Amino acid sequence: MLRETQTNTSNYLIKQLPKATAFIDKEFKVVHASDTWIDYFDFNSDQVIGKTIHKLFGKVNPEWQEALDNCIRGQQSAIEIERYFDSNNREKWFEWVNIPWYDEGENIIGVILQVEDVTKRINNELEHEKLQILLKEKSEIAKIGSWEYDAVADELTWSDMTKKIHGVPLSHKPDLANGIEFYKEGYSRNTISLAVHKAMVEGIPWTERLQLVKANGEEIWVIAAGKPLFKNKEFIGLIGTFQDINDSVISDLKTKENEKLLRTLIDNLPLNVFIKDTDSRKILANKSEVSFCGLEDESQIIGKTDFDFYDQVTARSSREEDLYVMQTLKPILSKETINVKKDGTVTTFMTSKLPLIGDDGKSNGLVGISWDISDIKQKEKELRDLINVTSLQNKQLINFAHIVSHNLRSHTANFSMLLEFLINEKDEEEKEKIINMLNEASDNLLETLENLNEVVAISTNVNLEKKPTFLYKKIQTVEQNLAAFLKKNNATLINNVPNDLQIMVIPAYIDSILMNFITNSVKYKDPKRDPVITLSINRNEQYTILSIEDNGLGIDLKKYGDKLFGMYKTFHHNSDARGIGLYISKNQIEAMNGKVMVCSEVDKGTTFNIYFNEKN
Amino acid sequence: MKKIRSIGVIDDDPITVFGIKKMLNLLEVSETIKTYANGKEAIEDIKDMLEKNDAIPEVIFLDINMPIMDGWQFLEEFITLPLPNRIRINILTSSIDPADRENWLYYKEKTHHLIDYKNKPIRKHQIKDMTSPA
Repeated sequence: MLRETQTNTSNYLIKQLPKATAFIDKEFKVVHASDTWIDYFDFNSDQVIGKTIHKLFGKVNPEWQEALDNCIRGQQSAIEIERYFDSNNREKWFEWVNIPWYDEGENIIGVILQVEDVTKRINNELEHEKLQILLKEKSEIAKIGSWEYDAVADELTWSDMTKKIHGVPLSHKPDLANGIEFYKEGYSRNTISLAVHKAMVEGIPWTERLQLVKANGEEIWVIAAGKPLFKNKEFIGLIGTFQDINDSVISDLKTKENEKLLRTLIDNLPLNVFIKDTDSRKILANKSEVSFCGLEDESQIIGKTDFDFYDQVTARSSREEDLYVMQTLKPILSKETINVKKDGTVTTFMTSKLPLIGDDGKSNGLVGISWDISDIKQKEKELRDLINVTSLQNKQLINFAHIVSHNLRSHTANFSMLLEFLINEKDEEEKEKIINMLNEASDNLLETLENLNEVVAISTNVNLEKKPTFLYKKIQTVEQNLAAFLKKNNATLINNVPNDLQIMVIPAYIDSILMNFITNSVKYKDPKRDPVITLSINRNEQYTILSIEDNGLGIDLKKYGDKLFGMYKTFHHNSDARGIGLYISKNQIEAMNGKVMVCSEVDKGTTFNIYFNEKN
Repeated sequence: MKKIRSIGVIDDDPITVFGIKKMLNLLEVSETIKTYANGKEAIEDIKDMLEKNDAIPEVIFLDINMPIMDGWQFLEEFITLPLPNRIRINILTSSIDPADRENWLYYKEKTHHLIDYKNKPIRKHQIKDMTSPA
């Protein structure tokens, strides 16, 4: 009875054990079981006691069976971990302990089974292992190594990666002093020494980009980071990492170097270089472009468009070019453009615009290169002018050569012909006639030579200097010299030239020119009316223009226009017309860099306009 | 040799005119020799002859550089005249300007008249060829 009560009492105690526990006898039948044990395995509490574990678990694996047998023989088994799936098929991990069950007489009467749910622990362990693997992988990929310094034991530990970064074998045993010696002498070593010192004393962590010298002497860039550890405010050590960033630092340096090189290059090009965005706003401008826009710094130009610097017409056509380049993705190459700035300055540029094409194949702006060719254009124009002048002079020279040749030949032809007659002539009277003609031909030749000399003198007397001359006075003098001639022809001279006007001329030439034109006007007067000659002045940018207008016969310019100023060309039945006056006057005017033009109407009169070049 | 009835000499230089006339007379190639001091005098006389139905010169000696109307201007008008007979025109010049030679080629192609081009001076032995009817 008492025993029964005792059993019941222990029964009751076991039932409430916090740890899952079961007592089984030598036949493996369950004698006692805690509620936790029954719960663990989801058993029905009524059907547990008295059943064998073989029945309860369905199957007992051989190792467990062996462990139980050993227990009954008095040997405690090692702790075992078993995986088990519960009725909901959840994975569970259990830790088993099998202990021999002794009675009061130290006799083994069964086995005590203790089970602990270690699922959480096992999962943690797995998680830890996974993290370890991940960490290792990460450190391999990112080339990050770690280290730890135990200040108490004065021991430095490097991870495999850290050793790899330092280029030392895995067997290497580092110490703190040796670790610091790996840093490159100078900045790197000083920085790390100071950082470690500060960490130990002031507790400040560090992250620095420094250079290491590997065991093989190779220099590499690393990010060295470290953090002090304290326990109860007492320094106990350091932990930290190394990251090998050599490749990225080297490529960074290279990029920076390239950028600097490129910038130096475009800044020092004698060309205007700029980059525009899709709205034609400048997002880059080199020094030439900045100073061309009258600014000092690139920042003053950024975001501005051509409309800020050029007049409307220039800016609009530039924008049209930009749009063309960006829409068609075709470059404009070496296009000559005339650009007018807001202040009116004109510049000729040789411009190329190249589209900048983004990853999407569309244009996201353009690069422009402009070459200021204003000076070259100016020189080109001067050269062209010079060529024009030269070719004109050359033409005149050839023309003159033909005149000379013609005039001399016509006389010599006469000599030759007359001499032939003379040789064969028998008749004395005829002979004398021929000799007289030879004399005449000789005089003509002399006169021709004199005329030609006069023309040559004008062309060769380039040293005659132009002097400021009062034109009004000059006309007065010529009028006085011609007084008798004018009076005889009943001619009137109207001098409308301002009496204070001075022009730059060769004085001898102006005398000859005035004399010639005035005499011509009278010589070719209309017999129906008295000659009136009017002299007046007009001006344009380069020339002072003297107009000599008469009311004479006039000339049919359609017929004679191209011959008017030719040598030995006469157009009227006038006995003293030599055909040389206008030719010489024209040569004199041209020798002073001027020109002469004529307008005339038959029976109305003629106006000669003489252009005196005041600039040159 | 068939005698030519009329020859015209157009030149402003009296010595040249004298020379041509003398050579023509020596060779007795023509009954009449008409002389003109420039193109204008000549063209006006020829037009006059045409109107009066007179015989116009069959051979013409023509100078180029003349006052008032030069040789080219004369030719320009002459080739427009209604002259069915082929007239021989001998251009005589001292010019060596290639432009004059080009002008000659131009007029030569433009008319049915025979146009020749010679540099001065001309010699007696050339006259025969220059006066053979065109």
